[in-house]
Amino acid sequence: MAKITIGILALQGAFAEHQSTLQRLSIPGWKVSAVQVRNPEELASCDALVIPGGESTTIALLARLSGLLEPLREFLKRKPVWGTCAGAILVSQKVENTKKGGQELLGGMSISIARNGWGSQAESFEAQLEVPGLKNPERSFSGVFIRAPVLLSLTRSPGDPPISIIARLPPSILPQLIPDSVKSDDEEDPRRVVAIRQGLHFLTTFHPELTSDDRFHEYFVRECVVPQLAARA
Amino acid sequence: MSTTVEPAATAAAAAAPAANGTVTPNAPAAPKRTQGGSDNSSLGTFGVKSGLAQMLKGGVIMDVINAEQARIAEEAGACAVMALERVPADIRREGGVARMSDPSMIKEIVDAVTIPVMAKVRIGHFVEAQILQQIGIDYIDESEVLTPADEEYHINKHSFKVPFVCGARNLGEALRRISEGAAFIRTKGEAGTGNVVEAVRHERAMNSAIRRASVMNEEELYAYAKEIQAPFHLVKETARLKRLPVVNFAAGGIATPADAALMMQLGCDGVFVGSGIFHSGDPAKRARAIVQAVTHHNNPKLLAEVSENIGAAMVGITISDNMAGGKFAGRGT
Repeated sequence: MAKITIGILALQGAFAEHQSTLQRLSIPGWKVSAVQVRNPEELASCDALVIPGGESTTIALLARLSGLLEPLREFLKRKPVWGTCAGAILVSQKVENTKKGGQELLGGMSISIARNGWGSQAESFEAQLEVPGLKNPERSFSGVFIRAPVLLSLTRSPGDPPISIIARLPPSILPQLIPDSVKSDDEEDPRRVVAIRQGLHFLTTFHPELTSDDRFHEYFVRECVVPQLAARA
Repeated sequence: MSTTVEPAATAAAAAAPAANGTVTPNAPAAPKRTQGGSDNSSLGTFGVKSGLAQMLKGGVIMDVINAEQARIAEEAGACAVMALERVPADIRREGGVARMSDPSMIKEIVDAVTIPVMAKVRIGHFVEAQILQQIGIDYIDESEVLTPADEEYHINKHSFKVPFVCGARNLGEALRRISEGAAFIRTKGEAGTGNVVEAVRHERAMNSAIRRASVMNEEELYAYAKEIQAPFHLVKETARLKRLPVVNFAAGGIATPADAALMMQLGCDGVFVGSGIFHSGDPAKRARAIVQAVTHHNNPKLLAEVSENIGAAMVGITISDNMAGGKFAGRGT
């Protein structure tokens, strides 16, 4: 059985939860091993990477102090990466609501995003998501949104891979970010988009690692990681 | 690390979206649940309360008394700040009744940073907690560092949308706080002393109790729950998980990067640093060093590097019954 090594960036945040979910997965024909990444050597051994939830300012600072910023940017050019929440912010092209003086990003996905787009913790919520791409799609997925970021735009530059939308919030749950110019029932409203794929990469603004439902983890490995490894082999 | 405490009884609290939105000045307004409110979403569930604590893991939460200190903490890599009027060392020295901070001062700190902001209320003072929830604080610390408002009852934390962290000296205390609705536990340690010995004692006591419980059969667990005065279902869940069912940080007396890494190696999920940063010679440097020490707590080479040339540590005091302010850890058991 071929082996897949998935790294979880373990500088700060909910990395242990991702690791235990990934280790539980059974992917036919593949043996998944999940390892914590805190330095460039550990990153170099990985076929794919998960950037977990946490505080994006803290993770970016620790990445710089650990000499990981450039290795991570290089990694994003070649291998699959999944960013959840803080991780989603780090793989964005552009971010709003940053700390004074802005913050460092890794880039990799052609989107702009607003940090903490719903308000304070009292506005954090759980919502049922209908996700056609998952295994057993008839079962909704319980999305946990904690001081979650909100997508502001999906704008590809020429040459960027296409973006596919994997999950949306129902129109009744919307942060009042953008004025009425966009109708809330508009399928293209980026504020409703909570999971996307682009090229090798995957992004969720919520936390599949906080539930016992491993279908998003299975999706990342099946759709993003395995095809890439199979193509290389 | 699943937090499978049974869902808290927050259905009532979950219904109404809050009318706040106190985030950074240029931040978007709070969400509106249109057409009859939360049809298929719910606010303030135990999942989002304990979930935020999970996002703070591997991080350092720093006590700050104004917006300027909050910015220093954010730049140093704090994953959250605790807004309070006096750090514990000053509460000890100056004495008097220590209360919740002025909301205007907390709001200035909320406006100054993008990371979560916590604030303390007195044990049992549920109105201070209502006020903090109203101004949009992200986490409340029902803290023994402030003068207790109720010597018998803690706050019923299930009835709030905002999550609570509480201190504990042992497993029984931790599980009692969780049964009252706390979504996050920290050691009590002995705040404001710069002396890590009590935090070590509390974390060791917690670990040892969890190890004992983890090999017990059901009959023994019933008796053990009685012995430590904790709800049976939480004792059983802790024994199954072999850890507390919520995130557990170190707090009370942490002053150096080595102290922080010690608590992490003892099994804590992250660290609160109170007086240890802004009572030291070079707060910005020390704060950053402690942040790195928590991430790389198993890497002695890096710990040696970050411990170098970070200025003088806070002086600290020997813990005794006669010290200024007395022992805080015995408050609210």
